[in-house]
Amino acid sequence: MPKVSMTVNGQAVSADVEARTLLVDFIREQLRLTGTHVGCDTSQCGACVVHVDGRALKSCTTLAAQCEGASVTTIEGLAKGDDLHPMQEAFRENHGLQCGFCTPGMIMSAVDMVKRHGGKLDEQTIRHELEGNLCRCTGYHNIVKAIAAGSEAMTSSGRVAAE
Amino acid sequence: MAAYFRPTTLEEALAVRAAQPVTVLAGGTDVYPIRANKVGWGDMHRDDVLDISAIAELKEIEQTADRLRFGALTTWSQMRRADLPEAFAGYQAASRDVGGVQVQNRGTLVGNICTASPAGDGIPCLLSLDAEIELASARGRRTVPIQDFITGYRQTVCGHDELVTAILIPRPPAGAVGDFLKLGARRYLVISIAMVAAVIAADDTGVIHHASVAVGACSEVAKRLHDLEAALLGQPLASAPDLIEHAHFAALKPIGDLRASGHYRDSAARDLVRDLFVRLSAEPKRRAA
Repeated sequence: MPKVSMTVNGQAVSADVEARTLLVDFIREQLRLTGTHVGCDTSQCGACVVHVDGRALKSCTTLAAQCEGASVTTIEGLAKGDDLHPMQEAFRENHGLQCGFCTPGMIMSAVDMVKRHGGKLDEQTIRHELEGNLCRCTGYHNIVKAIAAGSEAMTSSGRVAAE
Repeated sequence: MAAYFRPTTLEEALAVRAAQPVTVLAGGTDVYPIRANKVGWGDMHRDDVLDISAIAELKEIEQTADRLRFGALTTWSQMRRADLPEAFAGYQAASRDVGGVQVQNRGTLVGNICTASPAGDGIPCLLSLDAEIELASARGRRTVPIQDFITGYRQTVCGHDELVTAILIPRPPAGAVGDFLKLGARRYLVISIAMVAAVIAADDTGVIHHASVAVGACSEVAKRLHDLEAALLGQPLASAPDLIEHAHFAALKPIGDLRASGHYRDSAARDLVRDLFVRLSAEPKRRAA
């Protein structure tokens, strides 16, 4: 079995995994970081979005072994202790969730979106960019509002570093 | 249990490829979903995996005076962001609408053609750009025109000891402009009912001197519409939408499936080509997507 080593939320981790282990299963089963969800298992819903080397991807569409040496950030890696990340705070403030299942992926996609667009996000861009994230409660209206608010908060708190 | 190979050089990868049947893995966006669906592209429970994603020499986009070379690991995101001639505007537009951002960050242009789905959005774009596909094996390298690379439904000429190493595209003629349109039940996260890609160049007086038009999802393999292209040459660009005739689409054999009937596809293909020509013949300012 291949041995994989990567950095997850700033911590070095290493494990022997079966070659076909998906990154999302490695994160959830091996590291017990269960904030990253599996919704569809077919790379459509986006509940499993994490950042690998600064880019958003669907962790059900990636083998753990392909992330050898990579730096991975999951939803658990956003908050600093008890202080929520501005995007998490914005989702709370704007009621950007109903059942909450899609929320980790929504927030990870939102943070990636803000970083790529340098904090300048209009509603049309947000809706276009959310094409890879599905909310089965159809709570998109507040999700879009939350991302717009989170984008402003990230910009004013200096957390936007364009690529 | 399947073995997993992740070589860092093409030479090592070709040795693995020649030694055993493997599922070739690059971005993986077509390979992983099979875990939840029927076996279509590869079976990681049965076949060994050859992961080519660590081969640095396959990651580059190179532009020279006479051609552009897209390494086999070029992702949709790289394509979308690259600074390319205007003839590539259609291919770049297709890159923006494949899957979603997260899939575009992983999925590769070459994976799209190796999957060889009739509904692959990249394929009509490559046809319209006269692309050639570069393959390598321990026996050497060869290039195959895109129209000969895909031979049927999910079938390509890629041999069991070969890997696709690059897409080669000759530098388009001066003034050539590309565009792409697709029709789906929704804009995102759907498989196209029909799509069209075109590259057209007109001279200073607006007369067309180069035209390539390709339609996808309306035949087993996407097709160029050579009769339509011939009808456009020497004509004013502004008249392009009016030059379309039913007979120009004879090469297409649209089937009916769960997404649309054959009859619907037939008429949708004509409407898409007309819409695309209207966009291409409009002022550049208005054409900006």
